[in-house]
Amino acid sequence: MSQSQNETVVPEHWEPRILAYCCNWCSYAGADLAGTSRIQYPPNARILRVNCTGRIDPEFILAALEMGADGVLVSGCHPGDCHYTSGNLKLRARWALLEKVIEQSGVDPRRVRLQWASASEAQIFADGVKELTEQVRKIGPIRSEWK
Amino acid sequence: MGKPVPVAMAQGSSCWGCFQSLVDMHLKLADVLPLLDIKYWQAVVDFKLKDLEGYPDKSIAVGFYEGMARTEEDIHLLKVMREKCSTLIAFGSCSCFGGIPGMANFSTIEECYDAKFRHNKTVNGGEVPTKNVPPIAEVVKPNTDYVEFDVYLPGCPPTSKLILTAVTSLLEGKPMDLPPHAVCHYCKREKKETPISEVLRPYVGQADPKRCLLEQGYICLGSCTWRLCEGPCVNKGATCRGCFGPVPPIMRDHGAASISMLGTYAPMEPDKLVAQVKDPLGTFYRFDYATSHLGRIRIKREDMKKEEHHD
Repeated sequence: MSQSQNETVVPEHWEPRILAYCCNWCSYAGADLAGTSRIQYPPNARILRVNCTGRIDPEFILAALEMGADGVLVSGCHPGDCHYTSGNLKLRARWALLEKVIEQSGVDPRRVRLQWASASEAQIFADGVKELTEQVRKIGPIRSEWK
Repeated sequence: MGKPVPVAMAQGSSCWGCFQSLVDMHLKLADVLPLLDIKYWQAVVDFKLKDLEGYPDKSIAVGFYEGMARTEEDIHLLKVMREKCSTLIAFGSCSCFGGIPGMANFSTIEECYDAKFRHNKTVNGGEVPTKNVPPIAEVVKPNTDYVEFDVYLPGCPPTSKLILTAVTSLLEGKPMDLPPHAVCHYCKREKKETPISEVLRPYVGQADPKRCLLEQGYICLGSCTWRLCEGPCVNKGATCRGCFGPVPPIMRDHGAASISMLGTYAPMEPDKLVAQVKDPLGTFYRFDYATSHLGRIRIKREDMKKEEHHD
């Protein structure tokens, strides 16, 4: 609404800091596989393991942004494949509203990303991290949103 | 009972609803008023701001601050209240979380001026007033950014019963017992474990008076809102809008909790959900945008602007 889309000046030597929430059963294993398979992807993501994406309260994402994370990635099992049957569907619904709320409040919604990556989809996980990192790199540090 | 207790009531930017709720104690006022020695109460007793400023520090036992602090005058009053009162109560949701006026942070101050003064539909050639009005802050900051409170009494307004309980226990020096339940605790409607297949606007259809409103598709924030109201709206057929703010710890993000709750109840297709929930920011952050994470980012943005301006 009141977003001022200033030209952001990206500072030199700045690296995006990404927080990645991964579910224990799919994406965390997928990230592990990405490592053991030696897939190259940016080191910007700090991975936090949660048991299920359904455990993720929107507050986790908003608090991370407020504390200065430049981007937040949430990676979980594909819809229908949740270890706990429906946790990821709950997150998916929350996410839809959360994205809208972030946009309405004037923060760039491209800072957050939701993806589905199973335990065998190491490449999808790595690509997701890469894509979000590059996207956030273009937008600039979260502090630039505070201008 | 001993000597009357010195109290002060102050009002920032607000609607006076909380004090109205205090006055709405009706006959109970006859019991309470003799126990109070009112030292300051704008528009009710004839004390001026300079009287309040003249009292010795901490000489007033209990202070109530209603409303948020948008103008310089409000901010000054809030700070004076903190100096003079030994117990300061954040009285009402505006005072605790920014409240309804906190929603002004959805827009910039210029957009607010446009809506209120320059292009107001009922005014021709409107101008922003500059004479005889206090300067206004660029952004709504929650009162807790300016001073520390000893007691938070949320609600829009806090119910008369809650105020009576609070005032009585403060006067008697007894601890207040406010269990951290949600509004649902007091809701008499029947609840079944049904996920919502459709989100309805309040004016659509006829709600079953016996069943949970949320399960019928109406957005009701009762399950993430503190129960201090004891559920009058939900029992009368209106959905809870969340005016008492989050369940303790009360400085948590109420809007995020509401989104989380609705996502759990309505695990539907994202496109459908977004199309059916109109204005999620206004719905979920109606009373506590200023103290929420997104609201904080908004305030930081304004602070950065100011810093740049100074550089």
